[in-house]
Amino acid sequence: MTRLSKGGLIDRDARLRFSFNGTEYSGYQGDTLASALLANGVQLMGRSFKYHRPRGVFAAGSEEPNAMVTLRDGARAEPNTRATMTELYDGLSARSQNHIGSLERDLLAVNDLLSPFLAAGFYYKTFMWPKAFWEKLYEPAIRRAAGLGALSMQADPDEYDKGFLHCDLLVIGGGAAGLSAALTAGRAGAQVILADEDFALGGRLLAERDRLDGAEARDWVAITRAELDSLPNVRVMPRTTVFGVYDHGIYGAVERVADHLPTPGDKVRQTLWRITAKRAVLAAGATERHIPFADNDRPGIMLAGAMRAYANRWAVTPLKHANDPIAIFTNGDDGHRTAMDLIAHGARVLGVIDSRADAPCFGQYEVFPGATVTGTKGRQSLYAIEITRNGQSEWHSVGALGVSGGWNPNVHLASHHRGRPVWDDALLAFVPGPNGPQGLIPAGAAAGKGGVADALADGMQAAITALLEIDIAAKPIPLPQAENAPAAQEAFWHVPGKRRAWVDFQNDVTVKDIVLAHKENMRPVEHLKRWTTLGMATDQGKTSNISALAVMAELTGKTIPQTGTTIFRPPYTGVSLSVLGGGDTGPHFRPKRLTPTHHWAEAQGAEFVEVGPWMRAQYFPQPGETHWRESVDREVLAVRSGVGLCDVTTLGKIDVQGADAGEFLNRVYANMMGTLKVGMVRYGLMLREDGHCYDDGTCARLAEDHYVVTTTTANAGLVYRQMEFFRQCVWPDLDVQLISTTDAWAQIAVAGPQSRTLLQRIVDDADISNEAFPFMACRELTICGGLRARLFRISFSGELAYEVAVPARYGHALMQRLMEKGADLGVTPYGTEALGVLRIEKGHAAGAELNGQTTAQMLGLGRMVSVKKDSVGAIMSRREGLAGDKRRLVGLKPVNAQKPVAAGAHLFAKDASRDMANDQGWVTSACYSPHLDSHIALGFLEDGDTRMGEVITAANPLEGQEVTVEVVSAHFVDPEGGRLRD
Amino acid sequence: MTDLTPITALGGTVARSEDFGVLRLTEQPDLSLASLSLRKGQGVPSPFGLTLPGVGQSSQAGEYGAFWIGRDQWMIEAQGTQDIAAMLKAEVPEASVTEQTDGFATFEISSAGGAGPLEAVMRKLVNLDPQAFEPGAATRTTLEHISVFLVRRAEDRLAVIGMRTYAGALWHALSTAARRIGAQTDGELAK
Repeated sequence: MTRLSKGGLIDRDARLRFSFNGTEYSGYQGDTLASALLANGVQLMGRSFKYHRPRGVFAAGSEEPNAMVTLRDGARAEPNTRATMTELYDGLSARSQNHIGSLERDLLAVNDLLSPFLAAGFYYKTFMWPKAFWEKLYEPAIRRAAGLGALSMQADPDEYDKGFLHCDLLVIGGGAAGLSAALTAGRAGAQVILADEDFALGGRLLAERDRLDGAEARDWVAITRAELDSLPNVRVMPRTTVFGVYDHGIYGAVERVADHLPTPGDKVRQTLWRITAKRAVLAAGATERHIPFADNDRPGIMLAGAMRAYANRWAVTPLKHANDPIAIFTNGDDGHRTAMDLIAHGARVLGVIDSRADAPCFGQYEVFPGATVTGTKGRQSLYAIEITRNGQSEWHSVGALGVSGGWNPNVHLASHHRGRPVWDDALLAFVPGPNGPQGLIPAGAAAGKGGVADALADGMQAAITALLEIDIAAKPIPLPQAENAPAAQEAFWHVPGKRRAWVDFQNDVTVKDIVLAHKENMRPVEHLKRWTTLGMATDQGKTSNISALAVMAELTGKTIPQTGTTIFRPPYTGVSLSVLGGGDTGPHFRPKRLTPTHHWAEAQGAEFVEVGPWMRAQYFPQPGETHWRESVDREVLAVRSGVGLCDVTTLGKIDVQGADAGEFLNRVYANMMGTLKVGMVRYGLMLREDGHCYDDGTCARLAEDHYVVTTTTANAGLVYRQMEFFRQCVWPDLDVQLISTTDAWAQIAVAGPQSRTLLQRIVDDADISNEAFPFMACRELTICGGLRARLFRISFSGELAYEVAVPARYGHALMQRLMEKGADLGVTPYGTEALGVLRIEKGHAAGAELNGQTTAQMLGLGRMVSVKKDSVGAIMSRREGLAGDKRRLVGLKPVNAQKPVAAGAHLFAKDASRDMANDQGWVTSACYSPHLDSHIALGFLEDGDTRMGEVITAANPLEGQEVTVEVVSAHFVDPEGGRLRD
Repeated sequence: MTDLTPITALGGTVARSEDFGVLRLTEQPDLSLASLSLRKGQGVPSPFGLTLPGVGQSSQAGEYGAFWIGRDQWMIEAQGTQDIAAMLKAEVPEASVTEQTDGFATFEISSAGGAGPLEAVMRKLVNLDPQAFEPGAATRTTLEHISVFLVRRAEDRLAVIGMRTYAGALWHALSTAARRIGAQTDGELAK
């Protein structure tokens, strides 16, 4: 046990049990998994990515590169979780990753022996040949050997949520700067959100022994937290990582609502928040960097600041054996703080190895000035280090080594809008540049002002500045008395040597790899990164990027800013896909639209098909039918011989009113609509601005100044939007008003020779005889004893047919009534499959024909584009090239009637070679026609209108199909149109 | 009077209502709606004694209500099932009126715990600042990919008016949010 006997922000009365790799341990409330493991003397926590080197915890926060574990078991197992960010709870279970056999005896550690061959670029160069081996052999083998944790492959059982927050000031980070910023803004009455990734507020104040107003900093943190909690205008969000800055002041944040509980219970596991902030203060602190030296990756070696955090916050020393001495290796004053804190906690300190010749000493400990660490021993636990001074080396026994190479401000969020950090020579670090996201003000350590007094003052000032910009006057608040710790340092980046010195621990990138990248001319920082994979692991190189840059700068003889820096993209730390997905999976993955007869169709046992957001009845299987074709054939024949019912509510309905409604529609439709008589319907064709066909449907005139436009299901929203654009922006002078009424009406197609007879049984007193209500008539009337309805005599099937519309709430009952009243007429509900067969038999165009590539001429509707008026796309449709397209819609009938034609097949003259030069068109729609007892198809064919009777080939080379087809009229049924007019 | 039996947007014969802690979610099938659009050059009328509201607002006059949905365009509401389009057209014969009752499904979220829980549920549903969306405010926004109108009827009551064919999906979204907020303790809801 290496738990210190007193101190720390842990509740020693709340003992928590947990297991790691199956061994039971215990820790305290307030521990992280990392601190609890260290307290139990566990230094070895994982294996490295590539060489499978034994690794221990290196940091104490979200920058951790080594201590990655798989947390929890079964479906809740979560790989690549940082032990440093995992709040300990009773019953926690974790496993180490990336080893075969036990963590201690990893068989893949053989990779380390092969390391001379596995340098940067090895895979790129080696696995080039033979090419075919890559996918099946090399890649799987490499993936097996190198990697992190594995997914459970089970569905995530927990719920995730999402939400939106709004505030005047978002404070990112709850350390000294963040707390003073939040308090300043909170007292000024601004709406404030304070978010911190940690479960406790305080940041480094909890990790240091700084005194505020002469007392422990944690006291001030507690008082400040209490005041913030009491302010109704402040929302404090611990366990919340602000991971990205997006457009217009929107910040992405993940709140880990239940990650610290054994199971979420009735809570969600995590919530994705989109925070709209008028201003934000980036008080994200700084990340300590290390100094690469030979064999610097052993368990027991960690950042000196992390070592302080473990001692001060968690009352733990990172030793395997409690009385071993600890050494510090530093290039500045900061490392000395760790030595002093450890001594204050009663730990044995070997001394401070300071690279500076004039190294200071701040207390009762030995200093090795002008010295470096040049080697280490201890495969699974550090036991000795080599200290070299003036060319003289000697080995010392130690149980742990803290390394301090300076601090890098956490500039990440400030560079999310391509804001380039700038080099600060005095700080020896990059700080946020002037071109970061608008409204985001860096403060405290994130702005290079990491001393406690500086951070407190800077946070306060940032809040005042931010609020002033949005006209909120905030006053300075009394800040606690504090001092900045000494922070002098020298530019010392790595210890040169022959052995491997790790720069990026998580991706196993060493100084040698950077040297090799330099040799092979991978010198620009972006090349360096990709060639060596530096900074590309899950930690995104938080502890390695700047050190690597410094090594490259040294090799090129340039300065660090000349060498460059990488900027950052979201997310700041890993975000689970579950929470990004927003929570709903399975049937609620996306919202569905149900037609007014949906529940009725469901009760009939209908099969449904997704049509955009809609669920539509596809067909209605009857007892004894074993194949969908049987159901569809029956439905089609019922329509052709009796009467069928189909819910067509999904077609878009746009109400068009106004004195200029007719003129407006003349301009929107290619054909004339202004001349349409009241009480009549006309088929209409809309073109795109470029002259291609856009949408088709019917247009009914209910009154002189009132039309109802019907669109296709797919284009309902688009056509409405387009029409609104024309109304508001193109022809604002017209008196026309538009509104969608798609959902308001349940519309049922009643089709077949018996349709009139059926409708006459429900219509109240209107005369719908052929004379009184001819083809293409429409009328507002009442049915079923006074229910207001609209009746249209239109036909998609080619039969005598109507569409009847009633208020949507009556759709279900109307369907039942029609079924009841039509029983003796053989009334049959039909779905979208039969609808499709019926329209193909009739040669009516649908989405497959109106696919954005076709013209009115191609559809045989060229004369519909009126030359007596202008309309959208009319002139463009007459341009050369478009008007010259000779492909025409034709029917295609296989010579062998039972041979199916594939939609998408291309059309060729019988003996032409199957290549692009001889391509004469394509098959758009195909089906089996029970009416003709033959497969049939529609397609666009070069000069198709003059090639009736010719035998050609529909080729589907992808599947090796060739079907000989005869070119016929597109109207397989009733080409004269007598049926729909009778 | 027709002998056909209507169903609600959720497919029932009676309105669905469910309690989640202090929150109640209720389907409101008896709200009649019609849209009113002014003709070119027409002055702003006062149908049913309503003062037609400005952008982002709603108004109320007895059994009738109105909320702004576009330039020179409002949705007129009436309690109970009635032929509101005909009634509205009679009030303002020169305007364009369209029946909308069955175009929408109306749900009300009410809170027995004051504004707090209602605002908490709003934060889970829509990208609006609940504190800026005061009683009387009305807007059109996206909720779970569904376009909806929101009308803040009171501190503790919010109407969500969405396309009728999306009613089931909307109920799922609203009830999921209400269930999670309803399960929270007073302490968790404090902010």
